[in-house]
Amino acid sequence: MTWTAMNWTLAVPELVLACCGMGILVFGVLSKRETFQLCSMLTIGAFLLTGVLVLPGAYGVGYSGLFTSDAFSAFVKLLVLVAAALCVVVSLDYNEHVNLRRFEFPVLMLFCTVGMMLMASASNLMTMYVGTELMSLAIYVLAAFARDELRSAEAGLKYFVLGALASGLMLYGISLVYGFSGSMAFDKLAEALADPASASPGLVVGIVFIVAGLAFKVSAVPFHMWTPDVYEGAPTSITAFLGTAPKVAPMALLVRAMATPFGQLLVQWQQLIVLVSIASMLLGSLAAIGQRNIKRLMAYSSIGHMGYVLIGLAAGSVDGIRGVLIYLVTYVFMNVGTFACILAMRRRGKMLEGISDLAGLGRTDPAMALAFAVFMFGMAGIPPLSGFWGKYFIFSAAVQQGMWTLAVIGVLTSVVGAYYYINIVKVMYFDAPEEAFDPRPASLSFVAAVGGLFTTFFFVFPAPVVAAAEAAAKVLFR
Amino acid sequence: MIATLAFYVFAVILLVSASMVVSARNPVHSVLFLILTFFNAAALFLLAGAEFLAMILVIVYVGAVAVLFLFVVMMLDVNFAQLREGFQRYLPVGATIGVVLLVELFMVLGGWKFAPEAASLRFAPVTPGVHNTAQLGRLLYTDYFLLFQASGLVLLVAMIGAIVLTLRDKGDGRRQDISRQLARTAADTLVMVDVATGAGMKDVGILRPKVAEPEPVAAAHDHGHGGHH
Amino acid sequence: MTEFLQTPLGILVLTLVQALLLLVPLLIGVAYLTYAERKVLGAMQLRRGPNVVGPFGLFQPFADAIKMLMKETVIPTGANRLLFLMAPMLTFTLAMIAWAVIPVNDGWAIADINVGILYLFAISSLGVYGIIIAGWASNSKYAFLGALRSAAQMVSYEVSMGFIMVTVLICVGSLNLNDIVNAQKTVWFCIPLFPMFIMFFISTLAETNRSPFDLPEGESEIVAGFFVEYSAMSFALFFLGEYANMILMSAMTTILFLGGWLAPFGIEPFTWLPGPLWFIIKVVAVLFVFLWVRATFPRYRYDQLMRLGWKVFLPGSLLYLVLVAGVLVAMGWLPHAA
Repeated sequence: MTWTAMNWTLAVPELVLACCGMGILVFGVLSKRETFQLCSMLTIGAFLLTGVLVLPGAYGVGYSGLFTSDAFSAFVKLLVLVAAALCVVVSLDYNEHVNLRRFEFPVLMLFCTVGMMLMASASNLMTMYVGTELMSLAIYVLAAFARDELRSAEAGLKYFVLGALASGLMLYGISLVYGFSGSMAFDKLAEALADPASASPGLVVGIVFIVAGLAFKVSAVPFHMWTPDVYEGAPTSITAFLGTAPKVAPMALLVRAMATPFGQLLVQWQQLIVLVSIASMLLGSLAAIGQRNIKRLMAYSSIGHMGYVLIGLAAGSVDGIRGVLIYLVTYVFMNVGTFACILAMRRRGKMLEGISDLAGLGRTDPAMALAFAVFMFGMAGIPPLSGFWGKYFIFSAAVQQGMWTLAVIGVLTSVVGAYYYINIVKVMYFDAPEEAFDPRPASLSFVAAVGGLFTTFFFVFPAPVVAAAEAAAKVLFR
Repeated sequence: MIATLAFYVFAVILLVSASMVVSARNPVHSVLFLILTFFNAAALFLLAGAEFLAMILVIVYVGAVAVLFLFVVMMLDVNFAQLREGFQRYLPVGATIGVVLLVELFMVLGGWKFAPEAASLRFAPVTPGVHNTAQLGRLLYTDYFLLFQASGLVLLVAMIGAIVLTLRDKGDGRRQDISRQLARTAADTLVMVDVATGAGMKDVGILRPKVAEPEPVAAAHDHGHGGHH
Repeated sequence: MTEFLQTPLGILVLTLVQALLLLVPLLIGVAYLTYAERKVLGAMQLRRGPNVVGPFGLFQPFADAIKMLMKETVIPTGANRLLFLMAPMLTFTLAMIAWAVIPVNDGWAIADINVGILYLFAISSLGVYGIIIAGWASNSKYAFLGALRSAAQMVSYEVSMGFIMVTVLICVGSLNLNDIVNAQKTVWFCIPLFPMFIMFFISTLAETNRSPFDLPEGESEIVAGFFVEYSAMSFALFFLGEYANMILMSAMTTILFLGGWLAPFGIEPFTWLPGPLWFIIKVVAVLFVFLWVRATFPRYRYDQLMRLGWKVFLPGSLLYLVLVAGVLVAMGWLPHAA
């Protein structure tokens, strides 16, 4: 194989980002002073640069079939990069505030992003595994980043142990699939499985294990146990990160893995995804009701949202996948905006996490209350906010495929979920005001504004996102 | 004939020592049995013609990984009797899960079909004429180049993580700067002074810092002078 | 006769004979290395060294051996008997079996295997077990401290040793020791890879726990470290193992960097001496440097030792490896393995 046949230029964005990461790392290690702010800025710059490199879209298959660059991967990569960049912005002030100003923080987020980009482009089970590990390992460390705090260390350890178990399951599944089909490349697998009757039970068991491993990463029921504890224990800037990009990449990987190599086995995995989806939606909407801590609430909310996203995958059509991508876009912006607001909840220098602490925010800080309300309404799926459109695309895809039950359960759980989202709005506007929060730092206001504007005005210009999502989804069904 | 015999000998020792790893009472013995297991696995690799893998297994797992295991096991004072306390209680649950998995495994194996190429590949694990080290190299550095690099990143992240979570550098440690030490010359530190006989240190203007000056005795003068060299 | 040598039994007999031919001179060499060490140290410190037993004290090693044999092996209470006795045997055996692949002349190795250098590396990385097990099984603080020091030290220096070997290997294109020596016909690797040669030699000092890296023993701080509890024959086995390892490491240095059995420059007056003799001369020369270093340098402090290994040798060897690989690729000198 010659050097040109490797098509190595396809991975230029990843290579550039990884090299930037190593450069920033060396810079941070060598400089005598603490360079958290500077390294964060450099990391954001690296994300922007990589985003620019992803945009022109050199498509093809490279590295002996290990790596695919197509419209789908480009879409996911851009979303991941935007989410990661916003999360770094969000962490700028918070980390300074809670004494986590260490340059390794943005560097780890950067390497995590490299892993996620690799996942988006994986066209081989091995690439899938290595990318997932790169992402997870960085997050385990980040979750435990506040090492002197018991909760953070516990979160990191818990996530690590359970994550290692999930990785083990996934590897076991991969080995079963390899053993029963003789290949790990997605295209070869698709070829070998063109006739669904040829799939042996061993192969199906392997697929189940792979789904289980990825379902753990997106925290879908019944692999969600870690989510509330990790969300609550991790530093809040990491919780913000956890809810965005590291949900997008495994979900995209799950979609690609199910649609491309195992696409012909739709009947085999559809039931599984439907079950996981229903369970996630139910748990996400019911368990969140009793929560007092906003971070835990967001954890259950994310479980519920992943349930909705899985409906799109279960539909197994272009429209379904398109819905998944649109939903993820809207979710990322709402989530990062919400966390920007949560991070601004501090009173006399002390970080607050209770829902009751928001009481009367409508009077003490109307701008922040408005943003928060927009996000909550968006997450509940109230039209015309972006959250509604995500749900709309997903449910309509399910209905097209005749999956009425799924769509109905989705709508019902949305209604239940709307209760606790709107409850927060009630607390903000109708409860007796408490003391005002400390003045917001500009970076948080910026992110909240970006998220809020996107959520509010998505319905005005949905065309580019919808068109890109459509193009991306079609790639998987060629 | 000898190869078959050797295979069975190594395989039996491997299985026995592997079971000893989990059943030995002393954790240090467990690690030592683990090392024996690695050795026999390496021998089996050798018999299969994968000499490079065999040696790498010994170098990496026995020479480095197991050393660290042993290191940790020897340093830890783990009370294994206490760890085993719950064994009886959890046995039924564990056994049930084990049996279920076993049944599943049999069900899966019932549907086992070899991939079409597997049967032919089995008889020629190595391409004739190409050294298996070279073949491994081609796989790692050409075919799986991307994965190789990505695994490198995984290890880098693990390293950063270990440092971030454990290094507590208060910055008050006394560091040795070897280049500065070497750059120091006699002229920087040494002063030659003529001390008149009977003159005290104070008279000459040499004072040792922070040392309470005892009343100089005449005989101690030469001694004090020598101390500056 | 030749037919007999083709049968399995014949091969076994032949191998045994070869092993004996190698091991007997080796053990005598070990015995006289201890003698040479004392004589060299004596000369460097303006003393005489052993001079009582036999002419010039030549029978001193045998006297020592007999003394060791006659003494009682003391096993401390609380020691793990089995492991305590196994450790010195392990050290000694490992030092011996590594010799199976060392070529003394073109093709003169008991086992001329394809991955000879890896075999040597593997065996030398196992040496640490003898020490760790001894330190733990002795049930003594000093022994355990010595064992811990040794484990960290040997694992650290193996890393850069590995990189140095890789540098040599990319110049050769083979893992076979015979090929490595034959590749040095034009120029010994100690010239183009001079920094690596120095680093390798220093790493072998650390790998054999020799002065100035003899912290695992550390007589003046931990009273002899890992073998403080050993006596009589079990002690002698450690002693033999250490010296056999020194010879082994010298042989490795000779093969990797000093052209093995090749005569210098491959020209007339030098080629009159047969290859094995050149091999021995080179090994002895390297051994002399071992002793010289011991007489000259004070012991390193532990943090200095680790700093040297991780902060100087590791980046240094990596850098040079990249440099060498770059030069080989740029000039098209890369050897292609058959």
